[in-house]
Amino acid sequence: MANDREVLLKVENLCQYFGPTKAVDNVSFDIYKGEVFGLVGESGCGKTTTGRSIIKIYDITSGNIYFKGQRICAGTKSYKDAIKEARKEKKGCTDSTRIAELDKIIADNKEQIKRAKFDHKNSDKEYAKKLVEETKAKYEEKLKNCSAQDRPKLEKEYKDALRVARNTKLITRIQMIYQDPVASLDPRMTVREIISEGLVINGIKDKAYIDEKVYEMLELVGLVREHAGRYPHEFSGGQRQRIGIARSIVMNPELLIADEPISALDVSIQAQVINLLNELREQLGLTILFIAHDLSVVKYFSGRIGVMYYGNMVELAETEELFAHPMHPYTRSLLSAIPLPDPRSEKKRTRIIYNAIAEHDYSVQKPTMREVFPGHFVYCNDAEEAKYKKEYGR
Amino acid sequence: MDNILEVKNLKISFRTQAGTLKAVRDISFDLKRGKTLAIVGESGSGKSVTAKAILGILAGNTIIEGGEILYDGKDLLKISEEDFHNIRGDKISMIFQDPLSSLDPIVKIGKQITEAMLLKSSTNRREARKEFNDRLAILKKCMVAALGQNNAAEADELCKTFNKTCIEANHLENAYNIAYTGAADLLSYTEDFLFKAEKKQKLDVKGLLRDYKSRLHKIRDPFLTRGMEERIESLGNELGDAARAYVSKTGDVTGAVEVMQKLETLLKELTGKERPDFVSIAYYKLFDPEAKLDRPQSELETVARKFMNEKFLDRFREVEEKAVTYSYETALNKKIAVLPMLDEAHAFFGTDFTKADAKAKCKALSDEIEASIDQLEYIKDSRAYTFRNALSNAIKNYFYYLKRNPKEEARFARQTRRREQLIARGKNVTWKVVPKVVYEKEELRANILTIIDRLKEHYEEYIAAAPAMDYHDRSQKLVNHFKSKASEVVYRVTKSMAKEKAIKLMEEVGIHEPRLRYTQYPFEFSGGMRQRIVIAIALAANPDILICDEPTTALDVTIQSQILELINRLKAERGLSIIFITHDLGVVANMADDIAVMYAGKIVEYGTADDIFYDPRHPYTWALLSSMPDLDTKEKLDAIPGTPPNMIYPPKGDAFAARNKFAMQIDYEEHPPFFKVSDTHYAATWLLHPDAPKVEVPKAITDRIRRMTERLEGGTENG
Repeated sequence: MANDREVLLKVENLCQYFGPTKAVDNVSFDIYKGEVFGLVGESGCGKTTTGRSIIKIYDITSGNIYFKGQRICAGTKSYKDAIKEARKEKKGCTDSTRIAELDKIIADNKEQIKRAKFDHKNSDKEYAKKLVEETKAKYEEKLKNCSAQDRPKLEKEYKDALRVARNTKLITRIQMIYQDPVASLDPRMTVREIISEGLVINGIKDKAYIDEKVYEMLELVGLVREHAGRYPHEFSGGQRQRIGIARSIVMNPELLIADEPISALDVSIQAQVINLLNELREQLGLTILFIAHDLSVVKYFSGRIGVMYYGNMVELAETEELFAHPMHPYTRSLLSAIPLPDPRSEKKRTRIIYNAIAEHDYSVQKPTMREVFPGHFVYCNDAEEAKYKKEYGR
Repeated sequence: MDNILEVKNLKISFRTQAGTLKAVRDISFDLKRGKTLAIVGESGSGKSVTAKAILGILAGNTIIEGGEILYDGKDLLKISEEDFHNIRGDKISMIFQDPLSSLDPIVKIGKQITEAMLLKSSTNRREARKEFNDRLAILKKCMVAALGQNNAAEADELCKTFNKTCIEANHLENAYNIAYTGAADLLSYTEDFLFKAEKKQKLDVKGLLRDYKSRLHKIRDPFLTRGMEERIESLGNELGDAARAYVSKTGDVTGAVEVMQKLETLLKELTGKERPDFVSIAYYKLFDPEAKLDRPQSELETVARKFMNEKFLDRFREVEEKAVTYSYETALNKKIAVLPMLDEAHAFFGTDFTKADAKAKCKALSDEIEASIDQLEYIKDSRAYTFRNALSNAIKNYFYYLKRNPKEEARFARQTRRREQLIARGKNVTWKVVPKVVYEKEELRANILTIIDRLKEHYEEYIAAAPAMDYHDRSQKLVNHFKSKASEVVYRVTKSMAKEKAIKLMEEVGIHEPRLRYTQYPFEFSGGMRQRIVIAIALAANPDILICDEPTTALDVTIQSQILELINRLKAERGLSIIFITHDLGVVANMADDIAVMYAGKIVEYGTADDIFYDPRHPYTWALLSSMPDLDTKEKLDAIPGTPPNMIYPPKGDAFAARNKFAMQIDYEEHPPFFKVSDTHYAATWLLHPDAPKVEVPKAITDRIRRMTERLEGGTENG
């Protein structure tokens, strides 16, 4: 079922280290087109870092991220480590065939590094090049066939389109909504400036077009045209978050990364924003990576959920499946901690405490991400996999 | 009777440039001892303002328009800043919403946690001593009165002995406690060590063993370690030997583990010991010249208890009960006598009166009321204690506004005229007319009368409850009160004790490696960790009332649930009363005994947790409940349209009407009163009026309640 869907974003062995801290360690997942993928975990487990790595706010340490089949981020640490390893072995080695093998490994990895660096740096350029080619082809065809009196107009159009194509970056197809609507809007810019900034950077100079676009976005997120001339401080928290959303969808993105978009909002406003995101998803066909710690909301909103714990992805499954059959002890502990608006059952609820050291015995075999049931991945080793399978024997 | 805090008709507004913002509009609630009251509402509904008013930390532009906050015989709205120092942080403590702004960025975490403990230590002891002595003096007076003047000497002797015994007992207990906590801590370290050794984790064996040795040697108390001194000595030596014998290169820990297991058994034995009865032992030690303290514990206790009961306690109890009875009955009689006076005062203030007369009347009445207070009550009767202050304030206000009102009217008229003139001349007028503050004479009079009526009502209840009085229970409680005060007198906090306590608190609130973290600065902590520090600071002074202002909003589920469990545990252990402010109803379900739902500065629904969640009546409560998804929600969420009203211009009628899809015509005209649903459940909505049309509760809520009851029944069947 999942296999025939188009993969929009592919994250492969993503590692993001800050000095000795492994903020994200070897995380892999796919996001299919049109779905909402929820990422949950406690604060400091690396879910925000993952989101930020995807839109290249950080340079990733190692691993690959593919967006629409093109590699947009690539880290080099794994290759460097392989080279180091090979060199170390080479020092004490006397066998000439082995040495040749090692030399080949080193050369291969060097090549890999070169390619990774190129992709990481030039993915936007490549995309722009492709767009320019397309635009050129389209307009040259038109120019050939057009009449003399239309020509100057069309030429101008062609020039504008070319400039936009040249300035377009692949990464702008991914947009982010930030957690704090107060801190993420520049207090000295009007709403119009905030929303249109991306368009302007993209090279669009047509004022009327920009205004039209801004109004359209404002109406889409439930604000009115008159709000365009105001400053962020004149709005309430929920309205500010709407401005943030308008800013991110004006670029017509395919993937939206929503980093805790509702945790800073009031209860009544939270529902408004969730409903809005849901509507936008249907209207614009957005794919959303939804990062949050409120599990009730994540369950309501997303189709698949990834659970993170201290930089590792520990479980990944469809929402219903995850809530019905949680396998990893951390997931169980997380689910047992959800507060519910039901005093009687709430007074009886016992939280399962997760202790990573006592829970797992990884002295024999290190854990890896395994597909225990179709579409249900758990971070475990052989013994645990057998245990989980037995527990939910289906 | 057991309300620890009462808020009555509180009204607060803020002076702003645009006008007066009505933040809290006439709210009343009671906080019961040892219970949690949750205040739920959106931001701007006035819940934080209420909390700040209780702590006396409102901003400078606040106007307290009326009302009372009664705590421990004081009205917190009217006491001086000096008096507040003894309450704030110590008796009433607060966990703030924003951990960023409530920690000092340039002071180390450890210092911030211990600061209050150290500062409060000496003042607390002084205060406790004072209160102990005062109470004891009153008790003595009552004893003399109950026994007759002839037996004054005996009463004096009894009180003196009681005082001495209490203090001595607490000295003994304190020493015992220090040794006991030392043993308990060491036991937890030992278990930790053994666990890590078993899991083959990295351990600094040498350093740890030496540390444990020195800790073990510090555990010394004549009662705790009796007969075990030699074992402790030899085990300490063994620990030292094991540390020396350990070779870090081989990493062989078997020797160390063996010794540690021995240590574990010893410590378990120590901590499992029964606590001796310190009061009788102290008495025995003090007053029996031939006291032999070095007997086995059970024998010592029997001897001491017998000795004390014979020589002192039986008699003391008897006399004390007599004194309590005497004091209670005198107060009761006086109260009965005061009732007609209150009626008379009501009549007096009901008609016009002059200033001098009113003052004289107030003084005479207040004196009588004060005389009618039962001084031996261990929970102070707030209403009676604050009567003088409240009444004289109301009278003062009455005359002040009578004099000021015409002036205010004139000023307002003058300014308006001036402004209109300027505008008529075509000038650009940027300033606004300051709104007038005028109180009607009848309103001011009503303020005075309510104070009198309320006291009368309170006294009538008191008198009605009199026949059911259990004097024995009352006297027992008084003795316990004395004992707890005595323990405060003796309890001295040193720097190292404060540090240990702080580290323990940090561990309790879930901070890893507290010893390392102790010396760090706030910026080195993440948001969740900072919030835990704030909670640790709030708990440092052992408060009676804890106000939690959205303590877990910034935290994720696991930590949130840890913190809530922590607060609940502390509530059970220390008998804390909690005011819990939040907008997350899931959190409330877990925590609250009672819930007040606030909107636009008013309480719109008030009831127990079961009332609010299983039988909500107010449309706003419905909206709150249905706007948050739970784990079974599939359909579109019912968001509340719009935003809360601007409270500079509070809407006429029900403030929620504009966002309420069930609003009726009357909602726009008149504010609904509280309708009673059950004894514990009240809601302010016109929908409960007998003439109102029947309205269906939103489907999302009925569905959820059905699901909850089903789950509950299913759960009981399985269990």
